[in-house]
Amino acid sequence: MKKKRKILGFKQYIIIFLCIITLNFFIPRLMPGDPFTFLSAEEGQDHTAFSSEDIERHKKYYGLDQPLWQQYISYVRNLLKGDLGYSIHYKEEVLTLVLSRIAWTLSLVIASVLLSAAIGVFLGTISAYYRNSSLDKILYSGLITLSEVPSFIIALVMLFYFAAHLKLFPLSGGMSHFVDFSSRWEMIKDILLHAFLPLMALTITRIGEFYLLARNSMISILDKAYIKTARGKGLKRRRILFYHALRNAIPPIVTRIFLSFGGALGGAVLVENVFNYPGVGRLMRQGVFFRDYPLIQGIFVVMTLFVLVMNYTADAIYKKLDPRVS
Amino acid sequence: MIKKALLEVKNLEVDYPYGTEKITAVREVSFTIEEGNVLGIIGESGSGKTSIALALMGLHDKAVETNGEILYNDEYLHTLSEKALNKYRWRDIAIVFQNHLDVLNPVMTIREQILEAIKKHLNLGKKEMDKKIKELLKMVHLEEKWCHAYPHQLSGGMRQKVLIAMSLACDPKLLIVDEPTTALDAISKEEILQLLEGLHKNKKFAMLLISHDMYVIQRLSNKIMVMYEGRVLEEGVTKDVLENPMHVYTRGLLDASLDINPYQDLWGIPEGNKDEETAGCIFQERCYQKKESCREKIPELQYVSLERKVACNRGGIITLLEGRHIHKTYGDGRNPIIACNNCSIKVRSGEIVALIGQSGSGKTTLATILSGLLEEDGGEVLFDEKSVLGNNFTSRKKGIQIIFQDPFSATNGGFTVEEIVKEPLDILKSDTKEEKNRMVKKALEEVQLPITKDFLQRKCSSLSGGQRQRLAIARGLVMEPKLLIADEISSMLDPSTKANVLRLLKGLQNKFGFAMLYITHDLALARKISNKVYIMYQGNIIEEGSACEVFEKPQSDYGKRLLGV
Ligand SMILES: Nc1ncnc2c1ncn2[C@@H]1O[C@H](COP(=O)(O)OP(=O)(O)OP(=O)(O)O)[C@@H](O)[C@H]1O
Ligand code: SF4
Ligand SMILES: [Mg+2]
Repeated sequence: MKKKRKILGFKQYIIIFLCIITLNFFIPRLMPGDPFTFLSAEEGQDHTAFSSEDIERHKKYYGLDQPLWQQYISYVRNLLKGDLGYSIHYKEEVLTLVLSRIAWTLSLVIASVLLSAAIGVFLGTISAYYRNSSLDKILYSGLITLSEVPSFIIALVMLFYFAAHLKLFPLSGGMSHFVDFSSRWEMIKDILLHAFLPLMALTITRIGEFYLLARNSMISILDKAYIKTARGKGLKRRRILFYHALRNAIPPIVTRIFLSFGGALGGAVLVENVFNYPGVGRLMRQGVFFRDYPLIQGIFVVMTLFVLVMNYTADAIYKKLDPRVS
Repeated sequence: MIKKALLEVKNLEVDYPYGTEKITAVREVSFTIEEGNVLGIIGESGSGKTSIALALMGLHDKAVETNGEILYNDEYLHTLSEKALNKYRWRDIAIVFQNHLDVLNPVMTIREQILEAIKKHLNLGKKEMDKKIKELLKMVHLEEKWCHAYPHQLSGGMRQKVLIAMSLACDPKLLIVDEPTTALDAISKEEILQLLEGLHKNKKFAMLLISHDMYVIQRLSNKIMVMYEGRVLEEGVTKDVLENPMHVYTRGLLDASLDINPYQDLWGIPEGNKDEETAGCIFQERCYQKKESCREKIPELQYVSLERKVACNRGGIITLLEGRHIHKTYGDGRNPIIACNNCSIKVRSGEIVALIGQSGSGKTTLATILSGLLEEDGGEVLFDEKSVLGNNFTSRKKGIQIIFQDPFSATNGGFTVEEIVKEPLDILKSDTKEEKNRMVKKALEEVQLPITKDFLQRKCSSLSGGQRQRLAIARGLVMEPKLLIADEISSMLDPSTKANVLRLLKGLQNKFGFAMLYITHDLALARKISNKVYIMYQGNIIEEGSACEVFEKPQSDYGKRLLGV
């Protein structure tokens, strides 16, 4: 808790949100290329299937012939109505598209953050208790190294080794298609099997972060006088470590969990593409590839909203968890 | 009635790791606490008090090395594993840690923190536990609503109460209390002391009370252990030790204690400069009665009387000057004036002794005899166990110097400042010219007189009364005396100059550690500066004792009259 995070108010979050959606509007329009060059092109091929009249008609339909400021106003207006626009490529409501995929991504993200937090905090606590022992040194250097490797690299390595080489896990996708599952359990097992490698890839990179945070705060907490008091009472080591000490370390850890969702979301976009996982990450790739502005923007808006809500929750929860902040 | 020993500690040693070296914070400490008794540990900051407390409960970190025997109720605690120790912690031996925000877990409520000790050690039902918590809070006069508060919501005094309530949750047989009153205002401090006093009376637990506040120790303990740099320098019955400290260090602590000496200015023990690790007595840098042998020999804690132990190669504070049965008669045989009649007086090293009495009671006569400048008719005077004869101690360094009231005004007003101060050194003939000049300047500086050429050449008669008095002190100081006899040196001065001169003298006394026999008829002054008081009346010493005793409850009729008690 050395660096006290500045706690933002609700208004500040609204302002940040507005800034981000504004950027979100302009950035795709500054990208080279144009959706209609790709509108009917298959991935990897580069030819146009539209006549210039067609293009004009489409541009008119999507409002792309209007001046920028008018486009912007209608964009914001629609956004506030919950209308994220219409995908040029998929020819479907962006909101529907995103919602159909988001469950895959969010479960990956949330599960990986929680898992890495649990593992990281546990190892960090052990490390702090045995600080400077060889166990601590091994954990420390190992986890720091791992956390430096980007998640998609880990994903690739795992894909090649566990899926392609050892054939322990499916190569791609979110579940097996065209299979009749004999029971609900079979289906869940299939989904978990598909999720396992992406989940691990995302989890492993984040363990180091939680490990370090937990280790650092636990080291300073274990030196505190109240730990001596607790020992003086004759309490068990387990209770002292995981109750007295960890409870004091919890506020920054929980805050960090919520803050990590944003980062994990970014990681998930890449990892999903490695495993061809049917989440928002893959959807986004399609969007970028086809210059599908409404889709990209829609995904951005949803992600932004998610990250901001998580940050806001982090602050709110911090206040709840630490009786000293009021 | 001899009480059963509850805790016996033998040769306790605590070493903290410090880089590759170690710091020994506690060494060769042994003590016993009997059931229901209170042992006070006093000592300056860093003397190892808390380290002892933590060692008793086995609460030091793994890296800290502790050695020695800790025997509690026939169980050797130092041999037990952490798990086995847990049975004794809080249930048998509980501790009230030094009070600061961090001793309580900041994210747990008061109730939760008291409760967990009860849950761990006592087998109580939910209802009983609720009742117990209520009782505990009531016992320390804390409203019940506070049990749902978090530590940061409490004031320092309330937190101290919570700590006490928590420590007594399992009715321990031995309570360790570390600095119960630091950082509390006077009212809260008194409240906590009364609380502890009452609880001790009711619950009859034994207590190890740690404090650097003499008053706290005085109020609560029966026995006392005085610590310095991890060692015990003096040990005894609290009352005796406070009334008659035997170690130079203990007296220094007492002199520095406001509550014990409410009438005196506070004078800390001067810091020694310890540049190299020396063998021998750990207190030698700050001791003003050290001998050559103190450099080599580590003093052992030894009995000096029935219930008193002192660790000093010289057996504690030595008697520097002793006059035995001194007798002096002036005048001829037909008309004798008995100036001193069977007067016995002692001045211990580093002590300020006031000799009070009205004019003509024989004070100056006695003082002059003690210095050797006047021969007694009967009795003897010893200085550091050798007879005082003539000027054998006044004419040498580290001996006796006597300062009279305004000595240069009449007789040698023609001398210059320099000549006056240098004269004793000239007579001594042991220093070179440069040395002498340096010493003269230093002495003048010490008494805050100028050392310009111009001032050195000034005639004494041209100085003010205050300046002349300072000059007299400087003349005494060049000889680095161990005993300074000052005869009414302040009576002719105006109040502000008087205060300055006395402050100066006391400061010098504290810095150089000489003993002083201070003769005055100014009672307020005597009370302010002295450790011991003798009252003289018509040539007899009719009362003697520690300053507190004599001024609070004089025994003799004359003393009562004189002091208006
Ligand atoms: N954790 C530690 N690591 C290293 N040295 C320590 C540690 N704790 C104490 N010491 C050293 O041990 C010595 C004794 O410290 P201790 O806390 O026992 O003194 P104390 O008498 O309780 O002082 P105070 O009156 O200030 O509380 C000091 O020199 C201190 O610097
Ligand atoms: S006289 Fe020697 S042994 Fe005694 S306290 Fe002084 S230095 Fe230590
Ligand atoms: Mg202490």
